[in-house]
Amino acid sequence: MGEAIVITSGKGGVGKTTSSANLGTALALQGKKVCLVDTDIGLRNLDVILGLENRIIYDLVDVIEGRCRIQQALVKDKRFEDRLFLLPAAQTTDKNAVTPEQMKDLITELKRDYDYILIDCPAGIEQGYKNAVADRAIVVTTPEISAVRDADRIIGLLEAEDIEPPKLIINRIRRNLINSGDTLDVNDITSHLSIDLLGIVLDDENVISSSNKGEPVVMDPNNPAALGYRNIARRILGESVPLMSVDTGKPGFFGKLKSLFSK
Amino acid sequence: MSKQQVVTIKGTKDGLILRLDDQCAYSDLLEELGKKAQDPGLEGAVEVQIHTGSRYCSDQAAKEIIQIVQSAGHLRVSKIQSDVITMEECNRRVQEQQSETYIGIVRSGQEVHAKGDLVVIGDVNPNGHVSAAGSIYILGRLKGKAHAGNAGNREAVIAASWLEATHLMIADQMETMTDELAILSEHPEMECAYLHTNGFIAIDRLQDLRLLRPGLSTFKGGS
Ligand SMILES: Nc1ncnc2c1ncn2[C@@H]1O[C@H](COP(=O)(O)OP(=O)(O)O)[C@@H](O)[C@H]1O
Ligand SMILES: [Mg+2]
Repeated sequence: MGEAIVITSGKGGVGKTTSSANLGTALALQGKKVCLVDTDIGLRNLDVILGLENRIIYDLVDVIEGRCRIQQALVKDKRFEDRLFLLPAAQTTDKNAVTPEQMKDLITELKRDYDYILIDCPAGIEQGYKNAVADRAIVVTTPEISAVRDADRIIGLLEAEDIEPPKLIINRIRRNLINSGDTLDVNDITSHLSIDLLGIVLDDENVISSSNKGEPVVMDPNNPAALGYRNIARRILGESVPLMSVDTGKPGFFGKLKSLFSK
Repeated sequence: MSKQQVVTIKGTKDGLILRLDDQCAYSDLLEELGKKAQDPGLEGAVEVQIHTGSRYCSDQAAKEIIQIVQSAGHLRVSKIQSDVITMEECNRRVQEQQSETYIGIVRSGQEVHAKGDLVVIGDVNPNGHVSAAGSIYILGRLKGKAHAGNAGNREAVIAASWLEATHLMIADQMETMTDELAILSEHPEMECAYLHTNGFIAIDRLQDLRLLRPGLSTFKGGS
């Protein structure tokens, strides 16, 4: 029986879809069977980041409404043999096309065949049902006050639900801003939100270029943002991986990264 | 006199008191009250208190009694007092005396209300809201909104290990933490907010509460 993890945020554009794609890929790299579910109905883009866009035939709503079987709608990522699949979001504009019960049944079915089901959510607080279908939740924020405020709101709603306490990913950390004190640092954010930190991901322009190429950045072992995602995936698998340092002041930051990988 | 007086009048240093018998029938009581109220001997006495003893006095009954007593025109009822209250009223009073404890983070968009005092163990984050009819004590950081004495108690206070609220309210007085106040509490550690005699909310060291609001202490007994 697999585990369903919902990836959510209060504010939009903080990196839920990027995180879903990269964590799914990282877990598949670790040999796990992963299914990504894009529930951002009307605004699908998980398929684009994974480079699977032109292989989509059916979508989530087609499955729910019985127009096809789950297996027909799942798109396989050929880079990972049988380990990474995507259930694409529908392009309809009806956000209520899927009821909580239907979603629950779907996820339960997927949990039989996959180790991890990662559910990429739309932003905001009006889609609580998608949280309750998961076993645990990951909240993504960036180190901006507005994003952290909205994360606080969504964490409150998640804590009221019948799932494990949510964990936090801080995405798009800019080392130069932290060193100059112009942004919230990791400690500020975790002590403000009082939840466990699952990991941090540096801001890196290759995240954007690799998304455009349909090849999640996590596949590049030398990329600093990729390291963040790989560490998070290992923590999801239960390993205890020390938090990477964001401090550039010390020489040999990249050297340290390399040595971590060559271990 | 064979029959017990149903209404007795007593003069005290606090004024006239009408003591109403609590065993007789209510209708007899009203009748007797009517007579006593008309008694020309009472002329000149203005304010009276009414004590109903062990008779429960509903709002309806209180209205009736006041109406009869005041009908003659020369008496005014300043207060009705009974030795008994309903269970409901009793529970309400107990609740007001009690303090409720909330353990957790009050996050953005969440509200926590208490009928008496409120103790929060954890933080109140920005846009989180705590309120209480009594005082609010926070073991943690208050970074959101707090409203103490929300039913009008001006003696209520807001104390926090870290007082950095965006909005403070006590009774009907509200204070947004403007720059000025932020400067006042540059060290927001271990502070309390209270309603100053000048009508505004003031902030002082937690340790000063014993001088500012000694009445809040409920501790009884030995030193
Ligand atoms: N670590 C990162 N470094 C640089 N750009 C990022 C990073 N994470 C996300 N982005 C970019 O931010 C934008 C929003 O990300 P996305 O994952 O679509 O957010 P969401 O799904 O939360 O709306 C995208 O253009 C994405 O490429
Ligand atoms: Mg998205």
